[in-house]
Amino acid sequence: MFKFLFKKERQVQELIFKYLDNLKKTQEHFEQAMGCYFDFGLGENCDFLIAQTHKFESRADDIRNDIIEMMYSKVLIPESRGDIFRLLESIDLIPNHFEAVLFMIQSQKIKIPDFIVPDLKEFMRVSLECCDLVIRQVEAYFKKTEDIKALVSTIDSHESRCDHMERKIVSKIFDADMDPFEKMQLKELVVQMGEIADQADRVSRSVYIINIKRRV
Amino acid sequence: MTSLLGGIFLGWSLGANDAANVFGTAVSSRMIRFWTAAILAASFVLAGALLGGQSGIETLKGLTRFTYNQAIIASIAAACTVTIMTLFGLPVSTSQAVVGAILGVGILNRQLNFAGLGKVVVCWVGTPVGGMVLAIIVYKLLAAVANSMNLNIFQSDILLRLCLIIAGSYGAYALGANNVANVTAVFVGAGMLSASAAALIGGLSIGLGILTFSRKVMETIGQKLVRLDPFSALAVVLAQAITVHIYALVGVPVSTSQAVIGAVLGVGIIKGVNTIQRRTLIHIFLAWFLTPFVASVCALSLDFARHLRYIPG
Repeated sequence: MFKFLFKKERQVQELIFKYLDNLKKTQEHFEQAMGCYFDFGLGENCDFLIAQTHKFESRADDIRNDIIEMMYSKVLIPESRGDIFRLLESIDLIPNHFEAVLFMIQSQKIKIPDFIVPDLKEFMRVSLECCDLVIRQVEAYFKKTEDIKALVSTIDSHESRCDHMERKIVSKIFDADMDPFEKMQLKELVVQMGEIADQADRVSRSVYIINIKRRV
Repeated sequence: MTSLLGGIFLGWSLGANDAANVFGTAVSSRMIRFWTAAILAASFVLAGALLGGQSGIETLKGLTRFTYNQAIIASIAAACTVTIMTLFGLPVSTSQAVVGAILGVGILNRQLNFAGLGKVVVCWVGTPVGGMVLAIIVYKLLAAVANSMNLNIFQSDILLRLCLIIAGSYGAYALGANNVANVTAVFVGAGMLSASAAALIGGLSIGLGILTFSRKVMETIGQKLVRLDPFSALAVVLAQAITVHIYALVGVPVSTSQAVIGAVLGVGIIKGVNTIQRRTLIHIFLAWFLTPFVASVCALSLDFARHLRYIPG
């Protein structure tokens, strides 16, 4: 009934959905780049996908800035603005981690030994599943389509699984007969990949807190 | 018209001081911008004064007999008292200032309607208690409704702001209906104005005070007592509006300041007493006790000054 009074609020909400769509595209390109890297190593194709991931990550920053600019033009009360601002900052760290993983691989010319490729692929799959779930959770919070509490626990269990896999892969690396520098390099890469699921878990908790904060 | 200036001044200071009780919690919790609140408050105060202000006027004009000059003195004394307290940033009671000034005039006339005065004083006590009890009830009811709705951040934000605008406008209506008697009842008592003209002039002067001088006290309420979250702000505004409206229907002008402070305390009880800043609360209580006394002294002093004669030496 009063929709005409809150046009800017609706615009901010639409921008948030646009941001989430862009995040999905960033994730898709990251997934393709990692798949290409695992299967064929670095090359022209992989570089293109890394560049595409970077392009979508930059676009996410632009959309986030548009949202912040609009929110601070007196849309929403300061408390809500602060919550959305912190949520966006937190979500934005996910594509940053995608980019960091890819740049690490690209700039350090990291070569993955065959014995950890299947583990890394599985690790990547579960981490990206966490991201899918967190995007679903954020959308569910704004659209009220499903129970976000259930999603929090699913994301949490995925994140625990990722932690377990991360430790397992790092142990495997240090058990192998390899150059110590390469071991450190690979460990750093695995830790950086592990940040994706960790960040997804943090976002998931933020959404949950924003939701319960509004219960009185 | 010149003789009504004291009343207009009183209405102006009432508006400057008491608009905070209606929209102060919403403005200080930044749910509503000051100017939106001020324009809404001014409009609804005028509506309340015109539609529901006459029974309060009847009550106050019956407290004592007024002469033309005494009506002017009473209104100026009350206005001075409220302005002094407002300058200190305290949500002072205009009703207490007016009744204090009327008391001063009654002392001069040696004629006071003690039954009427007793009823008003009982209501002074009943107002904060009523505000507090209603705030607890309103908070719990609204919380139950809000929790059952499962809203997202945008929906809850929009709903809260709409509710605050509606509750604030209702509070402004109740303020106008209840407090217009404080502004112009003495002039009706002195036969200078009809009840409807008094309601119009009173409502307009309160509205003027809201638009020109209410910002400081609006920022006092809510921030100095309890850090109010937006939901609590809504419960406070609604509880004080209901309290004041009930007294408007009964025909006893009461202090919206007392109602809102009672309501803020009620919310403080629900959220934990530690949230209340005791020092500010003590200052406000002091102001409540001092206000009728200061207003009586002002009225007596003004009457004394009026009778001074210059005798060449």
